[in-house]
Amino acid sequence: MSRGDSRRVRLGTWLGTASLLAGSLTLGVGSVSAQAAAKPFKACVVTDTGGINDKSFNASAWKGMQDAHARNKNIVPSYLSSSSSTDYVPNINSFVHEGCGIIVTVGFLMDQATQQAANAHPKQKFAIVDDAPQHLKYHNVLALQYETNQAAFLGGYLAAAMTHTGVVGTYGGMQFPSVTMYMNGFVAGVRYFDKVKGAAVKVLGWTPAKGNCTLATCNGTGTFVGNFTDQTAGKTIAANDFAAGADIVFPVAGSVGLGSVVAAQQAGRGHSIMWVDSNGCVSDAADCSWFIGTVAKGVEASVRDAVLKAASGKFRGGTYLGTLKNQGTALDYGGIPVPAAVKKAIAAITKGIESGRISINPNSYPAK
Amino acid sequence: MSESRRRWWHRLTTRSPLLVTLDALILGFVVGALVIITTTASVLDAWRAMFSSWAAFGHACKLTADVVGAAYRAMFTGAVVDPRIFWHALTTGHGWTLALTPLSETLTYAAPLIIASIGVGIAFQTGIFNIGANGQAILGGVAGAYMGSLVHLPTVVHLPLTLAAGIVGGVVVGLVPGLLKAYTGAHEVIVTLMLNYVVAALLIFTLLSTVLQQPGQQNDISRTLTPSAQLAPLFGAASGLRVNWGLAVAALVVIFAWWFLERSSLGFDFRVTGANPQAARASGINARAVIVLVFVISGGLAGLAGIVQLAGTTHYLDGGFLIGNAGIGFTAITVSLLGRNRPVGIVWSSLLFAGLGVGGRAMQVATGIPLDLATVIQSAVVLFVATPVLVQEIFRLRHAAAGEVRLATSGWGS
Repeated sequence: MSRGDSRRVRLGTWLGTASLLAGSLTLGVGSVSAQAAAKPFKACVVTDTGGINDKSFNASAWKGMQDAHARNKNIVPSYLSSSSSTDYVPNINSFVHEGCGIIVTVGFLMDQATQQAANAHPKQKFAIVDDAPQHLKYHNVLALQYETNQAAFLGGYLAAAMTHTGVVGTYGGMQFPSVTMYMNGFVAGVRYFDKVKGAAVKVLGWTPAKGNCTLATCNGTGTFVGNFTDQTAGKTIAANDFAAGADIVFPVAGSVGLGSVVAAQQAGRGHSIMWVDSNGCVSDAADCSWFIGTVAKGVEASVRDAVLKAASGKFRGGTYLGTLKNQGTALDYGGIPVPAAVKKAIAAITKGIESGRISINPNSYPAK
Repeated sequence: MSESRRRWWHRLTTRSPLLVTLDALILGFVVGALVIITTTASVLDAWRAMFSSWAAFGHACKLTADVVGAAYRAMFTGAVVDPRIFWHALTTGHGWTLALTPLSETLTYAAPLIIASIGVGIAFQTGIFNIGANGQAILGGVAGAYMGSLVHLPTVVHLPLTLAAGIVGGVVVGLVPGLLKAYTGAHEVIVTLMLNYVVAALLIFTLLSTVLQQPGQQNDISRTLTPSAQLAPLFGAASGLRVNWGLAVAALVVIFAWWFLERSSLGFDFRVTGANPQAARASGINARAVIVLVFVISGGLAGLAGIVQLAGTTHYLDGGFLIGNAGIGFTAITVSLLGRNRPVGIVWSSLLFAGLGVGGRAMQVATGIPLDLATVIQSAVVLFVATPVLVQEIFRLRHAAAGEVRLATSGWGS
């Protein structure tokens, strides 16, 4: 090594040392510059592993928060994503310490973590999406639940009325009650159509068990991807359904369904998708012309209302049950035109379900 | 310039593993700062206006420093200690839980990471790439969950048995690639990587279709470990601190790994095999036995990490156990490389990764910057550590004398 070499200016080393020094200075001396406005109401959501961009219920919960902010500017939404179930407890604890006005948790997997935190902090308000904690000590948790089988029934009827081949398909992400509930409603809707119209539309991908299948616990056998992320599997399953003669597929699998949309596009016009959870023509507007409709779950509206109520001091613990009547679940039409007669029939069925006159139990109707 | 100062200067400007790691750390935070700057609208707007006046330029500089400073400050206070809260606790005697929570959280996350990373590191030192630590950890958790939730015994027997079941679970998954490589020459990277998917599917199966599923549930959630099989909080449940006896398990693993690699003859065989397989074979080391044993130890430690994670924090399994970027088995690979596959180095890099994760959460709560930034910093650090030449050029470090720099791993497939 030459002498000249050792005299070279080690610019990088200087920069490194300087940035370290600057860093430690800011750490020690820095002042808290944030914090403004008069007493903002913090609305905090802990998402499941899907994160706020999952185009499904985590995204919906976050959207609900922002809607609440749009109506009441004093509400400041913030979120924490969980990268696994080990993050639930620390994420919730962070928000408890942060002084959140309400903490919204998403999904049954957060049941235990939410319950523990709620029981440890009686004054902290919580809302949990898609779950009903059973061991609460105080009235500080609002359980948001949705009877999605009501809207799925309408979806099944719509699919049966619109199919040209007499075959429709469905599949789920995983075999959970919150998923199979949709599929039970869908099958019930198809069977109801068959009974009323004397048709014989077949459903691929789900056969409900015997018994009362209006309950979330009703099981059955069918096609499941095994996760909510594998879009390739969603494409394969839908393509198989199309090959087996189906022309409408109803994926109940979050973003997996996007793969099925691709399958429909490859199969060509005449093939379509029934979307799930949040209106496909909004969340995936580019593909709107391939959607016959959406069996929607009103996560956004119910989270928004829970946050608004908490912010105005009207929050009450307990259970919120989303139905067709309170628009906690609904059938949205998609980009494919539906004849007025069908829409009229569906409006009438909606009334029938609301009044309890029409059963949404698939076993109330003969299976074809 | 005095002689001692000159020596320091020489060390600070000559490439060495430690210096490259530290410089990579600095670069990682610089990259993080750039990400903050380019993704924060207010900062970008300030820079857009900088040509209008000197004041605007000054404002942009100040805003940048404020935003980046606030983010990193929140990260530090969230992962280590908040001086103000600590001082408050020290002077009043109240609020110790709040003051110690950041450190407790970092240690809680670090414990299983240390164990898994040491498992991966031992394999690396033998020249073997165990990319399947995550699957091994998951099956460790599953096996431990069976033992911990379905069997009822006093703690003194039950807890060790549960941990042992975790180890066995990891060993079982580890043996598959081990035996395949030793006897058929199958490439361990492919086999271990693919087994991760098999085990992830197995996890869902056990949660949905076996006695492990929580009674009365149809969702993918397991029974809860009985209290006798749980790793209790280190300072008692009343302390409110989550740091648990898993930390003691991790400490034992570090001591074991150090002894094994530095003092035991088997560990010596491992390292010789890693450094030069031909020489190892020539000197009479049984290559097959070494390969199988590496996978037994590496898989067993990964399994132990899985059960420590389970018994120390959630106490029940669900479909999201070690999935995605929380997969400690995947993080362990980068942690191990950053720690140069040595036990002590791995302890430091585990603490760093755990701290970045925990601090990232605090940062998001305080400043709204997504905690994914922590992942960006982690990745950038590893990227720089993996490319020492780049770091050397950026900081214009001198070349080390021959032999000073050891490769983190030997080439794959050896």
